[in-house]
Amino acid sequence: MATNTEPQNADAENLHHVTSADDIEDGERVVVDIEGREIAVFHSNGEYHALSNYCTHQGGPACEGLLSGTIDVDEDDELIWTCDKEIVACPWHGWEFDITSGEHLASDKYRLPSYDVHVIDGDLYVEF
Amino acid sequence: MSAEATESTTVRSLDDLEVIVDTDFHLTERQEDIFPYLEDPFYSLLNSQSEGDDYGYLGRVYPAHGMLYSVTVGKADSPTVRTPEDVQKGKDLIEWDKAIATPTQNLYLGAVHHDDLAAALAKAYNRWLLDNIIDTDEGVYGAAVVAPQKPVKAAEEVDDLADESGIAAVMIPSGSVDPTLGNEVYYPLYEACERAGLPIMMHNAAGTMMTRFPSQWQSLNRALPVHATSHNMMHQVNLADMLTQGVPVRFPDLDFVIQESGLGWYPYFMRRFDHDYMGAKFDAPMLEKKPSEYLRDQFYVTSQPVEGADDPEYLNQVVRLFGGEDSLMFSSDYPHFDFDYTDALMKIMRSEFSGDEIKNIYGETAEQLYQF
Repeated sequence: MATNTEPQNADAENLHHVTSADDIEDGERVVVDIEGREIAVFHSNGEYHALSNYCTHQGGPACEGLLSGTIDVDEDDELIWTCDKEIVACPWHGWEFDITSGEHLASDKYRLPSYDVHVIDGDLYVEF
Repeated sequence: MSAEATESTTVRSLDDLEVIVDTDFHLTERQEDIFPYLEDPFYSLLNSQSEGDDYGYLGRVYPAHGMLYSVTVGKADSPTVRTPEDVQKGKDLIEWDKAIATPTQNLYLGAVHHDDLAAALAKAYNRWLLDNIIDTDEGVYGAAVVAPQKPVKAAEEVDDLADESGIAAVMIPSGSVDPTLGNEVYYPLYEACERAGLPIMMHNAAGTMMTRFPSQWQSLNRALPVHATSHNMMHQVNLADMLTQGVPVRFPDLDFVIQESGLGWYPYFMRRFDHDYMGAKFDAPMLEKKPSEYLRDQFYVTSQPVEGADDPEYLNQVVRLFGGEDSLMFSSDYPHFDFDYTDALMKIMRSEFSGDEIKNIYGETAEQLYQF
């Protein structure tokens, strides 16, 4: 989910503090344990995104692998590099997920749960 | 313990298993690990490299396929397994009690160009394996690799290792065999394995398609279609040749293990081959029963990569269709990018298979086959 900077949209008791927004450089991530859930919060291309770190395939640490882009084809079917810094690959089997939605690139059966991220007074919160 | 508890053999989780045997646990040996174990003339020839430039590839004696995998581009992190500490990390993840260590680079041994060097590399790998990896107290066993280019030397190597308690099997890197495995040139090797009581693992590698199926490999020009077709295709070719030439009849006390090729093609192949055999007995005069009966009696299958794990009806039927309750053996393929986590198979099979059958698949069948 995209970053939400309007705290009035969230119910305070559903917000869980992650860290200071300054702690995550653009292109970096943190993995935190919140009430028993491992959640990865990414800072990428100026936005924050939060996903479950438990791979829906075989349970690997899905959000701890390479954060990069992927190959697609353009309108002329030429190979292009796309979604730079928005594709995380589970390090166990290389399955690719779109960090902006949690979607698995190859199917719609394995989406990683995603969470809204709120920036409030310079701190990051995930909502659930 | 209550009466119900002693009668129940329900297996609900890995905790309910008394023993887990991983029948395909890979090492990631490098040629620099095993070059010091070479015997002369190759020790002297290959351990005195100059400071000169090898152009980035001439120093490698194993051919590289150059395909782009998830590992190549960094999307999968395949751990290194070259020391006992590395093995322990894999053991902790997969939670096996016993494992048979198998190679990675030496899956390409059959593609090494110099045949005498290939035989020497097999010996060197096996000595490195015994010196550095095998530890029966920790449940770490190994498969001795042999070079298919030199079947008589391979037989001698099996004779040499027959009394090593840590050697549980002999592996033929079967993706690059020339000729295929029904040919009489391999009979000395088969005799040696039968004499030693060691099952033969047949293990292909996707990239070995470039040697046995060069035009297909060149034409496909991506890793995905090569990987999806090569393992099972090469197994079908070798099995068809072995059955036709009567290998299981000639070596009735020898068992074979079909590694890392998925499952669904196997019950298909059994029936396809039986079907053709009905009208072509003259082509396989050695056989005394249906080809599939030899497969059921003398051939075993390792589980990874389990296809259709999101489709219980498919997977349970496929395993039943080849009698997997007696011939399927769990394998992880750790640390490769397509390894199976330990419960990938179990969480489907417990809806169809009894506790005893699941125990067979996760360890009992391997315990009987490999005589650890």
